[in-house]
Amino acid sequence: MILGCNFGSVAHTDMYNNLGNPAGVQGPNVNPQPNPFGNAFYGAGSGLIRGGLGAYGEKFLGSSSEFMQSNISRYFSNPQYYFQVNEQYVRNKVKVILFPLLHRGHWTRITEPVGGRLSYKPPIYDINAPDLYIPFMAFGTYIILAGFTIGLMGKFSPEAMSMQFTRGLAGWFIEVLLLKGLLYSLGGGEAPLLDLVAYSGYAFTGLSLTLLARLCWSYSYYALMPWMSLCMGIFLVKTMKRVFFTEMRSYEKHSSRQHYLLLFMAIAQFPLFFWLGKISA
Amino acid sequence: MAKEFSVPPVVFPSSAGNPNVPHQRRPPGAAPMPPFQPPRPSNSGPANPSIPFMSFDIGSTPASSSFSAPVFASSSGGGGSLSVSGSFEDEPPLLEELGINTRQIWRKTLSILNPLRVNANLHEDGDLSGPFLFLMAFGLFQLLAGKFHFGIILGWVIVAALFLYVVFNMLAGRNGNLDLYRCVSLVGYCMLPMVIFSALSLFVPHGGVVIFTMAAAFVLWSTRVCTALLVELASCGDEHRGLIAYACLLVYMLFSLLIIF
Repeated sequence: MILGCNFGSVAHTDMYNNLGNPAGVQGPNVNPQPNPFGNAFYGAGSGLIRGGLGAYGEKFLGSSSEFMQSNISRYFSNPQYYFQVNEQYVRNKVKVILFPLLHRGHWTRITEPVGGRLSYKPPIYDINAPDLYIPFMAFGTYIILAGFTIGLMGKFSPEAMSMQFTRGLAGWFIEVLLLKGLLYSLGGGEAPLLDLVAYSGYAFTGLSLTLLARLCWSYSYYALMPWMSLCMGIFLVKTMKRVFFTEMRSYEKHSSRQHYLLLFMAIAQFPLFFWLGKISA
Repeated sequence: MAKEFSVPPVVFPSSAGNPNVPHQRRPPGAAPMPPFQPPRPSNSGPANPSIPFMSFDIGSTPASSSFSAPVFASSSGGGGSLSVSGSFEDEPPLLEELGINTRQIWRKTLSILNPLRVNANLHEDGDLSGPFLFLMAFGLFQLLAGKFHFGIILGWVIVAALFLYVVFNMLAGRNGNLDLYRCVSLVGYCMLPMVIFSALSLFVPHGGVVIFTMAAAFVLWSTRVCTALLVELASCGDEHRGLIAYACLLVYMLFSLLIIF
């Protein structure tokens, strides 16, 4: 932990800036990717041309990929980092999210020096790293299960599905705002946005599990929902505490204000989960 | 020149030296024009290079020269009464020109029918006409069930294909070479089990256990075929087979919701 603090005070800006620097992000096993973000979209561009969008395809996607590389990489860290997952990571991470009290290891992310600067290891190597695959899949599962619930109530319609989708997105957004606001109020606002999106998206795993249980036996909802909110609260407290340690100035650590805000964040999960779990057509 | 119709002649400035040649469209069933040979320019093709089909050879056969004849390109001007000066017979048949290879579509459809063995070579080049047929059939079966879902099916297929495209390319990393066209083509072809399910669901009582078990079977079929094709066709899918399978499962469960409820 002391080592982590030292890293935090000395090189925290470098750590997060590295995530935006394409050369410094990847772990040692992956080939150096000078432009992974750009390449994903370039492939998209050529495919769409072949698919008959004509010259507009290249113009639209080609130019926007340059735009994205120049502008978006200032605001978003490299999204490729968040998808370096494998099945074992996914399984273990879901276990950590759903039962955070059983996680025996530490919660800090592993850093490694890459190219002279410190960066975080990608999710394959580090169970504590955030990823975006689980949030996306959990969100999709939430939508499908909500659709089943509405259907079994007899009120299914595609418009209701769209409504649920929008509600889910709104919930995700509110959660991101909550985390971001928390970071700002504690003085460090430099965590990458995609990290916060990932942490918020983990809420949907607990939600999906609750919805699934409710489909099987409707009274399980009343037991499982508070439990899942609690688990998510604990998970968020543990991760955000580590994020604060790397963000904040040293004289403000361990303040009671920090602890009260973390507690507030954990308690705020309850109404959010209940709102998202209330599926009505 | 005295004319029988009130339609004014369309005169093209490049028709060589004969500004009085009327290029008229005759409504079907109209009385035949008196036999009249528009002078064919000796330099046939490039007289009207941009609109070759407009120079009708009206005088060659009478009357039944209906309006729709030029659409049947395969008739190559012989059977129909109309032929473009010189280049009409050389035009390829319509389906070939549109890129719809019916034999290939049939073969691809048959390959999807076997859930256990997947033939990836057939699906190397994507095409959208097979999926279009499947989606229309899907919409028709839904219509028979009383639900008007054509637009929704189309929209959801696009969103699902985009979702799979993003997830696959991100997972595969820098070597991901799935392009959106092929992705839409694959998602569309693997819709075939869903189409069969929607046909069969018309005969099954609503809300019973039978329809849920059928849904499970068909969704698993679709998912298995889609995952196998994605992993075979686009590189670097192999180590993420389970992750991609889950994404495909989500997509096809979404469509099964439309069918069940």
